[in-house]
Amino acid sequence: MDGNLEISLDKLPIKRLESIEENGVERYPSDSSYDEKRVSLIRRIDFAWALEDDEERERKKRQKKSSKDASATWQWQSMVENLQLAHQELSVIIDLINTVDANDAVTVAGMTRPKPLPNEVLSDLAVSAATKLQCYRQLGKYFKQSAKALEEQIAREARFYGALIRLQQNWKVKRQRLAAAASSSEGFIIDLFDNSLYDSAAMCRPSSLSTIRVDHDSAGMLAINLPPNSCRSLHFGFLGVHSADIPKELGKIRTRGSVEQCTREREKESMSDDEYIKETHTLLREVHQSIFDDQVFEMLNREAFNQSIGVNVTGIRENYLQLSIGQGNTLFISLVPSGKGDDQDAANTQDSESAIVPLDSFDNVKLEGKHGTSKRKWGFPNRTSCEIYLQQIVHEHAFVKAKDKPNLSGTRVSGQSGKDGPGLLGHFCLSLAHRIFSNRVLVELENVVCRVPYLHLMTHPTWHSQTSSWTIFLKVPQSILHAESQSLKSDFQNMKDAVKSQFRTKVVVNDDRINVEGDGAPNVVSLFKRSSENISSVNKYECDLADLPVIILLQAASQVICWLHEEALMVGIKTNRDFLCLTFELEQGDTVSLVAHVNPEDIKGGIAWWLVMEDGSPDDWKLQMDMYDGASEYRKFLGHLTLDVLYSTLMDLVSLCGGGRNH
Amino acid sequence: MNKGTGAGTGPTAAAAAAAAQKQKTMMQRVETDIANIVDNFTQLVNVARVNDPPVRNSQESFMMEMRAARMVQAADSLLKLVSELKQTAIFSGFASLNDHVERRTTEFNQQAERTDQMLARIGEEAAASLKELESHYYSSAQRTPDTA
Repeated sequence: MDGNLEISLDKLPIKRLESIEENGVERYPSDSSYDEKRVSLIRRIDFAWALEDDEERERKKRQKKSSKDASATWQWQSMVENLQLAHQELSVIIDLINTVDANDAVTVAGMTRPKPLPNEVLSDLAVSAATKLQCYRQLGKYFKQSAKALEEQIAREARFYGALIRLQQNWKVKRQRLAAAASSSEGFIIDLFDNSLYDSAAMCRPSSLSTIRVDHDSAGMLAINLPPNSCRSLHFGFLGVHSADIPKELGKIRTRGSVEQCTREREKESMSDDEYIKETHTLLREVHQSIFDDQVFEMLNREAFNQSIGVNVTGIRENYLQLSIGQGNTLFISLVPSGKGDDQDAANTQDSESAIVPLDSFDNVKLEGKHGTSKRKWGFPNRTSCEIYLQQIVHEHAFVKAKDKPNLSGTRVSGQSGKDGPGLLGHFCLSLAHRIFSNRVLVELENVVCRVPYLHLMTHPTWHSQTSSWTIFLKVPQSILHAESQSLKSDFQNMKDAVKSQFRTKVVVNDDRINVEGDGAPNVVSLFKRSSENISSVNKYECDLADLPVIILLQAASQVICWLHEEALMVGIKTNRDFLCLTFELEQGDTVSLVAHVNPEDIKGGIAWWLVMEDGSPDDWKLQMDMYDGASEYRKFLGHLTLDVLYSTLMDLVSLCGGGRNH
Repeated sequence: MNKGTGAGTGPTAAAAAAAAQKQKTMMQRVETDIANIVDNFTQLVNVARVNDPPVRNSQESFMMEMRAARMVQAADSLLKLVSELKQTAIFSGFASLNDHVERRTTEFNQQAERTDQMLARIGEEAAASLKELESHYYSSAQRTPDTA
């Protein structure tokens, strides 16, 4: 308060006569209580000065506004002053209210709000409008945020369900409702187990990989997470030829199943959805193949414990099976993780060499020293083709057979028990044993044929896993035939076969039995009758691998002799034919023979020829070039002759016979 | 399981009734949610008027927040419904799925046959080539013996 101080005077606190009654009684006012006195004092508070101050303030404000430009005032000065005044007034009012509140006798009768000024009304309205506007803006932001979140959710779900629908085209998608309640994901799983294809006897327990959970990744896309090294693949090899560790090319092909998750996360960002779904398809296919390989191995294990033909287990441990297939060959079948590293390869190799529990001795593992390491490797079929073959026969037996039970082709495997024949494993072992053996037979045949120029080898694919067939042709040169056909007219019309153009020797290998069938050797009947009947006799016999070269050469030599015999007959010379000897009779009982000598070890040629002359009379002069047993004969080594030279020799002998006869 | 085509009894009728009931429930949910959204939005627009007592404005602002939350909740519920429909489509679209599976099976069988034919042809050609090569080889003057 400034300005003049106003003073109000109260009456003296003395009792003044209020009234006198007629009887002279004086009435004085009653004493007021303390509270009444306080109330009366409160009522005397006058706020007019405050109102006057307000009016003055308003006047000054208007003056200030007019002169605002002239003076540089702080823009918040008036607000500060207003707030200070308001604070003062509020303090007074609060004191008053506290006083009234403390005094129970006095209560607030009523409060009236002062009539707001127009600007106050408008400012209140503006504040309310601004508040409401702010509220709506916040709502707007909230809606935008929610919309964005929902759109993202829609996009994520669209990606997820789109991918899931595409996966469902090829794979069995199931839903686990209990898992859905427990976890945040919807509980989708992909079931890779096919339980409709196995009968109860061959029922395999479901693999742990059969059920694959579909998860969400950080971007909302579906993700399939497999534990590392969970996929396993079938691994096949021959002991001593192939190592038990995983070949690098196989490891490279099958590393997708064990790709680390972080690399997949990084790759996913750059990959489109289509590519990612293709990757997922590939991964599921690898798991499917892994499950199939597990089933194959389990089936083989089961068969290994049944006694069946062709199965000879020599070693077994977890995920490893070793079998002997005869002829000193041993193979192993194992299950290895697809994505194993190099350090585990070494461990695997060591384990395979040391930790095997052999059921049989290992002597059969070492092959004979006759063939070197290169030969051993060459004679063995390709391991990948063997793996494929094994998988194929199991697939046909377990899958195709289960579907088409009455249809069993003759070349397929019976596959049930060992009583009726070899099971799957037995069939596989027998096939491999035959394949190895037939390779060795082929080596021997080629060795023989390569050394004899007039022998040709022809392979006949049998398309049977346990049978192989070759034919060795002995071809007579065309020129000789042509010359023969000119000299011969119709003298021997009864000889329908005339001269053969080629002789055949057929070699058939069934499992490990070699059958040789060839024509050209004289039959026993004609030998007894000492007649050269033009019957093409066929010899059939079995032999061992070691004897095969000799047998082939003997057969070829006998065919040459047969041919020479027929050629001699063509020109009218009677000759005696023995197994490997063609004898011409000269005068005076002398004989000259053309003898074949076979030697498979001869690198210059397998068949060598000798000329042996036998003297009919023991007293005649004999030229003794080589006398071995003291017999009256002499021999001349002619060497490894071609058919042309043999024919010429024959003609010389024929002329010798003819000239001698003429004499 | 022999599913009869007659109506009234049997698993087909029960499945059809269950499907109809489910469809009805879903339609009700859709209608409820959409009505919820429309109603709350209408209320939001209605309280745009600025009232004199500021306390009413505060009350209205709380109400607006509540209604906005309800709208978003209803939208989320609709989206969940859509997800359920998608899942139902995945697990119940047997007709199209079976057609697709049959088509793929036919394709794969044909591919298997073609592969078998191709393998047989390859075998035949290989046999013919082998025969020709062998005849050429053994007719040639030079033959390299395969020694150990």
